[in-house]
Amino acid sequence: MNSPTDEDLVANWRDEPAPLLPLLHAFHDRDGYLSEESIAVVSAGLKIPIAELFATITFYHHFAREAPGQSAPRVCTGPICALHGADALLASLDGATPMPCAGRCDGPIPVIKGQQVLIGTNAEELAPTASPLPVANPDGYEECVFADIRAEGRSTLAGYRQSGGYTALQQALTQSPPELIALITDSQLAGRGGAGFPTGQKWQAVANASGEPKSVVCNADEGEPGCFKDRAVLEHDPHAVLEGMLLAAFATGSTRGFIYLRYEYPETCALLETAIAEARTANLIGDNILGSDFSCELYIRRGAGAYICGEEGSLLNSLEGKHPYPRNRPPFPVTHGFEDLPTAVNNVETLVSVPQIVRRGAEWYRSLGLDGRVGTKVISLSGDVQRPGNYEVPFGLPLKTLLYQWAGGPAAGRQIQAVTMAGLSGGFLAGEDLDAPLDEPSIRERGSMLGAGGIMVFDDSRNIVDVARQAMAFFAEESCGKCFPCRIGTQRLEERLSGGGPTDLATWQTEITDIGSAMKATSACGLGMAAPFITDSLLKYFPEQVAQHVQS
Amino acid sequence: MSSNGIQHQLILDGEEVNFSAGETLYEIAERHRKEIPTLCYDPRLEPFGACRLCVVELEGARNPVASCTTKATAGMVVKTQSEPVEKYRKTLLEMVVSENREVEVDPLRGYASQELGKLTDRYQARTGRFKGAQSGQLHATDDNPFIFRDYDLCISCNRCVRVCAEQEGDHAIAAMGRGFHKQITTEFNGLLKDSSCTFCGQCVQTCPTGALADKKALRAAELPEPLQKTRSVCPYCGVGCSVDLLSKGEKLVGIHPAMDGPANEGALCVKGQFAFDFVQHTDRLSMPMVRGDDGELHETDWDTALDRAADGFAKTLKKHGRHSIYGIASGRTPSEANYTMQQFIRRGYGTHYIDNCSRA
Repeated sequence: MNSPTDEDLVANWRDEPAPLLPLLHAFHDRDGYLSEESIAVVSAGLKIPIAELFATITFYHHFAREAPGQSAPRVCTGPICALHGADALLASLDGATPMPCAGRCDGPIPVIKGQQVLIGTNAEELAPTASPLPVANPDGYEECVFADIRAEGRSTLAGYRQSGGYTALQQALTQSPPELIALITDSQLAGRGGAGFPTGQKWQAVANASGEPKSVVCNADEGEPGCFKDRAVLEHDPHAVLEGMLLAAFATGSTRGFIYLRYEYPETCALLETAIAEARTANLIGDNILGSDFSCELYIRRGAGAYICGEEGSLLNSLEGKHPYPRNRPPFPVTHGFEDLPTAVNNVETLVSVPQIVRRGAEWYRSLGLDGRVGTKVISLSGDVQRPGNYEVPFGLPLKTLLYQWAGGPAAGRQIQAVTMAGLSGGFLAGEDLDAPLDEPSIRERGSMLGAGGIMVFDDSRNIVDVARQAMAFFAEESCGKCFPCRIGTQRLEERLSGGGPTDLATWQTEITDIGSAMKATSACGLGMAAPFITDSLLKYFPEQVAQHVQS
Repeated sequence: MSSNGIQHQLILDGEEVNFSAGETLYEIAERHRKEIPTLCYDPRLEPFGACRLCVVELEGARNPVASCTTKATAGMVVKTQSEPVEKYRKTLLEMVVSENREVEVDPLRGYASQELGKLTDRYQARTGRFKGAQSGQLHATDDNPFIFRDYDLCISCNRCVRVCAEQEGDHAIAAMGRGFHKQITTEFNGLLKDSSCTFCGQCVQTCPTGALADKKALRAAELPEPLQKTRSVCPYCGVGCSVDLLSKGEKLVGIHPAMDGPANEGALCVKGQFAFDFVQHTDRLSMPMVRGDDGELHETDWDTALDRAADGFAKTLKKHGRHSIYGIASGRTPSEANYTMQQFIRRGYGTHYIDNCSRA
């Protein structure tokens, strides 16, 4: 088959919704990189000024601009892979470059080559490896997100239907959108990407907002280091995500839905494309779904490597083909989202909870938490524990139970020194604070956050200041560069954790806390607000290690 | 006042003040002469919210809000100055100072080039804290004659990018990369002359640090006389852009667009901005001249010169007819002179052969 011409590619995508990313990927996949000629063709085809298009392309990690480009290996050097020898693997592969956490912390180290993720801790081991299926928890707590994920053939339409799939949609279509919103509101389901905004309230706001067409966006840009829950759900239960999106669309009056999937999950992208095709054939997507008046199209849009695109304003700008800076809020996406129209942006985990809630009821969902708390949270647990993986915990489960009973604790003879929360965004918890129950208010009380639910464990053999340095290097690398406190602050904090800055301890600490305070108070989005959690918690739990670092 | 004229109220620093729908907290505060510091703000551009210096306290909000991007709503209680907010502003300015080679720059660099220096003085922010790597990098190879791309002084406020897109419509520049390594660039990180830049100079004039600087004005940096500004009107086309002529002693050294110019509101084109050398050029005629019998040009008085020209036109008309006369007016002439010129050609000689170089 001849490779498609420039004109073919532009014609394929020009009139599709959110065309920029797929068109760039089409050129990138064809040539292995984005040549100046290709960029000029895309600029003309989509009428985007060429300087802006060029600059936007440079924003993403994974758009190569010269050969060998896409075929050169990219090695994850995220916090967990670093513990497993990522630097040595990187050095051993010809032409390899590093990439931030690629979401395989439960089975490191991922290396992306072309459209394939290879897994292994040395060059000989590298091979395609499926995402581990989440294991059921040993205490027998009832699950929501993972309730049916282990059912036979669940990732296919037939298997999904056999285990109750799409009955929630059928049921909802016999009722009205307000009834569905009322049910979700009653369940007290809240955003599981980390923000915790009540889902029913968000949907109500989109339903109430004027302007059409409305959209549902599934945020699958799981870029937080130490988070790999969405990947597990998308690969093993893709139809649950689609059903959740269709329910969200029905509730909000949306006629189109986008899955914004991170670049680092190419196999997931292929699985989702298959799932969407199956669902379309079965009249679950498209016009007059299951014979009803409800019509909705679903699209996959693949990111290109940018942590900030998990922030909903950046994500929407990225979808629209704009430079992916966060947006000023208000207005919020519920009124001014994709193309400035009402949009419900929901995390993967939130959306897959919806069909279960529709089938089993609001009261059932509320009852899943412990001691009066509502619902469950998937925790991606990795690092120095014996059984890393995705665990669905009832809110309120003690962190220690998860670490020791469920995940087997650290290796024999080792102690847990600290864990990071919310991936890296919540900073460290250590000492007595490891007794905390897993729910957002309890974790907040201890100066951290639960966020998207990534927890990375570091035992007492690890240099905790160096872990903090790596974390801050990540935030500095991923800062979008728009707002001053984050752009300069993450850089200065990284320098100070790398041996730069004042050598007098008190002066060093004052600089760290002054920068951190300004970042927390004045940053334009969550990245800059959260990054100082790392330094704050380092100073709180590890003053001796800090003193040693500064004075040596 | 909004178009529907409805006024709302909020509390600004303890006083109830009126505002119209759509106004931002910054606009209201500015109207009440609150001195809120900014670096990424240019009143002509869409608010961007990058520098965060304009944060104010808003009752009920967890964090201070950027006043430039926050639209006022009735009943808000806003404090433009408080101890924490002033401290954040100072810290932010110390951080900005730490990323640049220098803060104090020659005012010849551009209209807004003193903004950072003035703010750091006001907040006593040149403390030397937060030392570390510099952010921007000088574009050393761009040898265009007009715009010095001294990104060592760049603070990534994006005012240049925004003025180029929003005011000029050129979209010639953009910000590449992320984070601290973000750089202002052109397509494919090339030279301005290979981009869609028209060298209007608006990016230079909105730059708050002098990172984009007027190369022609900087030729006069070493002249000892004080810098003076004289309001005038651009002598080129008929738009009538207001300009401030920059001079040192008797020498014209540069042009600033007048931000309050009714026709241009701070905009100029490449000619109005940079093409002023003719004014004091040695080749410029300052007296009428006629060619003598020796074949050379000689200075003379206006009567002699005009008589010679009239005589030449009359002879040509008589010998070759009315279509042998063709008039072309200079693009620098105002409308009134252009009108006179076409009357002169059409009515004076009865031909329609009249044009203006601006049409080309």
